[in-house]
Amino acid sequence: GGEQQKVVLRMGHTLDTEHSVHKAMVHMAERLQHYSNGEMDVVIYPSAQLGNEREMVELLQIGSLAMTKVSAATIEGFVPEMKVFSLPYIFQSREHRWRVLNGDVGQNLLNETQKAHLVGLGYYDAGSRSFYMTDTRVKEPKDLTGKKIRVMESQTAVKMVQAFSGAATPISFGELYAALQQGVVDGAENNPPSFYLSRHYEISKYYILNEHTSVPDVIVGSAHVYNNLTEQQQLWLKKAIQDSVEYQKQLWLEGELQALAEVKKAGVEVIYPDKTPFINAVQDFHATFKGTRIGQYLEQIASMNEGK
Amino acid sequence: MNSVTSHVESLLKKLLVALSALIVVMVTWQVISRYVLQAPSSVTEEAARFLLIWISLFGAAYAYQTGSHLGLDILVNKLSTKGQAVAGIFSHLCVVGFALNVMVFGGFSLVDLTMTPIQTSAALEIKMGYVYFAVPLSGLIIVLFGINKIKQLASQIWGQ
Amino acid sequence: MDYSGLVLVITFFALLLLNVPISFSIGIATAVTMLFTIDFAPAVTTVAQRLAGGVNSFVLLAIPFFVLSGLIMGRGGIAKRLIECAMALIGFLPGGLALVNVMSCTLFGAISGSAVAATSAIGSFMIPQMEKNGYDKNFAAAVTCTSATTGMLIPPSNILIIYAVASGGVSIAALFVAGYLPGILVALALMLVCAGYAKAKGYPTAARLPFSVVFEKVKAALPSLLLIFIVIGGIISGVFTATEAGAIAVIYSLILSVIVYKEVKMSEMSEILLKSAETTAIVMLLIGASSAMSWIMSYVNIPQAISEFLLTLSENPLLILLLINICLLVIGAFMDMTPAVLIFTPIFLPVAEALGMSPLHFGIMIVLNLSIGLVSPPVGSVLFVGCAVAKTSIEKLIRPLIPLYMAMIVVLMLVTYVPAISEFLPNLFGLG
Ligand code: NA
Ligand code: NA
Repeated sequence: GGEQQKVVLRMGHTLDTEHSVHKAMVHMAERLQHYSNGEMDVVIYPSAQLGNEREMVELLQIGSLAMTKVSAATIEGFVPEMKVFSLPYIFQSREHRWRVLNGDVGQNLLNETQKAHLVGLGYYDAGSRSFYMTDTRVKEPKDLTGKKIRVMESQTAVKMVQAFSGAATPISFGELYAALQQGVVDGAENNPPSFYLSRHYEISKYYILNEHTSVPDVIVGSAHVYNNLTEQQQLWLKKAIQDSVEYQKQLWLEGELQALAEVKKAGVEVIYPDKTPFINAVQDFHATFKGTRIGQYLEQIASMNEGK
Repeated sequence: MNSVTSHVESLLKKLLVALSALIVVMVTWQVISRYVLQAPSSVTEEAARFLLIWISLFGAAYAYQTGSHLGLDILVNKLSTKGQAVAGIFSHLCVVGFALNVMVFGGFSLVDLTMTPIQTSAALEIKMGYVYFAVPLSGLIIVLFGINKIKQLASQIWGQ
Repeated sequence: MDYSGLVLVITFFALLLLNVPISFSIGIATAVTMLFTIDFAPAVTTVAQRLAGGVNSFVLLAIPFFVLSGLIMGRGGIAKRLIECAMALIGFLPGGLALVNVMSCTLFGAISGSAVAATSAIGSFMIPQMEKNGYDKNFAAAVTCTSATTGMLIPPSNILIIYAVASGGVSIAALFVAGYLPGILVALALMLVCAGYAKAKGYPTAARLPFSVVFEKVKAALPSLLLIFIVIGGIISGVFTATEAGAIAVIYSLILSVIVYKEVKMSEMSEILLKSAETTAIVMLLIGASSAMSWIMSYVNIPQAISEFLLTLSENPLLILLLINICLLVIGAFMDMTPAVLIFTPIFLPVAEALGMSPLHFGIMIVLNLSIGLVSPPVGSVLFVGCAVAKTSIEKLIRPLIPLYMAMIVVLMLVTYVPAISEFLPNLFGLG
């Protein structure tokens, strides 16, 4: 009969099965089965089997995929307000970041996805991104002068590197290892687990923990699929997602520590620079958003820093 | 009908020549901007990728008109002339069916999704709908070419 | 995987046999299969998205450039110079003309990146030449076809680029460097067969040319061969990416053909650009449609089911690799190389990796294997062109093809079981 029919939610991501995001999704599937007494199930497609992040968001809009994890940087093409997360130095600390994500700002930004036929369901931790350089020891922005830095394809990332006086060079992630090795670029930027898992540490002498951006991962669902669930099913799903978010946060922290230990062991010099000159360098860039929606979010986020 | 087809075909040719020339210029510029000007361009790669999508889809329509898509004719070749024409009509009906349902209908709904709200590309920050618009448009051209081919084969079978 | 796998395979083959173009057969079979698990509107929209999205790749961007430079080079009188160079170098050996054929096809295939172009450009000169000197025409055609496929392994090579995409990020630079030794090995193995065949049949050998003539001929061919070094050297040394190397190849071949050799007029350019757009689009539509097919296969877990099945068959990695090779040889007989690489890489690569094979090594193996498919009936674009050039039929070609197949299969086994053949050079250049 119709009531007994199992609800299968198909969920894709671009990372491999060792990544904290995948493990958290597996956890989500278990919790959902538990809450729903086996009525609901999540099938996970890892390793970009169903497309890259942008393509999977389109699949959510189309309705052939139920959920995905996507960087806030990718989703800004669909929900421009999300761009605020890609701006450098908007959070003062990890605690500040989670206070924002769990508070009104985080929820409002998740709600903004509705107009794009999406449902914002929560955030995963993606840590903070920092520079790594093949040959250049960087202590302050001026050490980046004229250096070719690989950035993601995003105008925000380009402008940020320019604010640090580097030359932003967009190169696809797949070509980056070779590009670093052959000197097409002098450095790149990423969070510790990605720096480690991509093996870029093998050819980078310095990892400069300046933590310029903290772009969270967003769990998004297809409005088409989500609206077809009963209220009870939506509730189960939300609870399962909450559980998986808490689980992932823990895994992420462990992963970050392990990654840093491993790259140090491999001979990478990890530099902890004074962040002040970096923060000062991006103030003009922040000012360009004054009076816009993003500017409003920036002010709201700044006001939520209790450590100030 | 025939004059419309040949008109579209000659437009398509001009478009493809222009797009191909443009993509060469674009990537050459990328090399120059990085090495000669020491200022890597941040948009040429994305622009070139979008050009490739257009070349692929409009080129696919043109290749259909010239009959250049690869196929397997060993079985069909064993048929009589009339049988071959009937098989040809079937094959073109399949292509037209695909073009109508997937490229035109599916393509338009894809464009529609990216236009409300507007989805923008990462580097150029242009509307993705413009890029994807090549899907339904090339689909329509394939439908036009296909119907024309079917008409020709039909008149071959049932006389003029 | 329920019935969807079966629906997919049956629909695809039924349409293919009814002469529906391959790319459309793939697309229709995919859409029909989707309708079993997804509603109509999301299903067709997803296929539409794959058609554009499958092509929207930085890595694939190199293809239109290598197609274009191949077309320009094909018109630029390069075939003639390569043949004369090969003639001067090895024409005097036993079975000299056959060896010259192999070498010219290999060089031309390497530069142009197109086995079909190599077959028609070299074959249309070499096959009549060999026939005039007493060689069997069908043997000559078979030699041309098989040796033209070495251009798939020797860079630049579009199929290696396509594999880089299908494998999810093996570096193109590493793949390009890895292709040299296996490609050259195939050429040498084919030459060995030719020499043996010529000795057995008592074909005549030509006289050795004076050194000054050899020097002259090599010098004339050098600018064409230089392209390989510019492109590959540029990629390895990091001066440019594979895509940029493609653009450089276009500019270089333009300068060579228009200004140096003066065999292409600028007025022919729009015709060449159109041809290159058409050729690119044919490949790209195949890529888009295949990416839709891989999508639905992943969606209904077909690759996983096949991997698990293969790994339960035997504990012995050597046997499983043999099995994969046999599957691919059969697939290659029926299917064009591009969709075969795109569809079967996600299926077989995880198995190969579970057996300890590197994605780089697997890539060389699958491309070499499917190169054999290019010259095996019933579907083989190279074979069709070879027959057309030699004015013969596929049936008559099969007998002389057999010893050449054997040589290719021996090399395939070597490449499969000796990783160093594929990995030595990339490791040497620090690209592995
Ligand atoms: Na080649
Ligand atoms: Na074949």
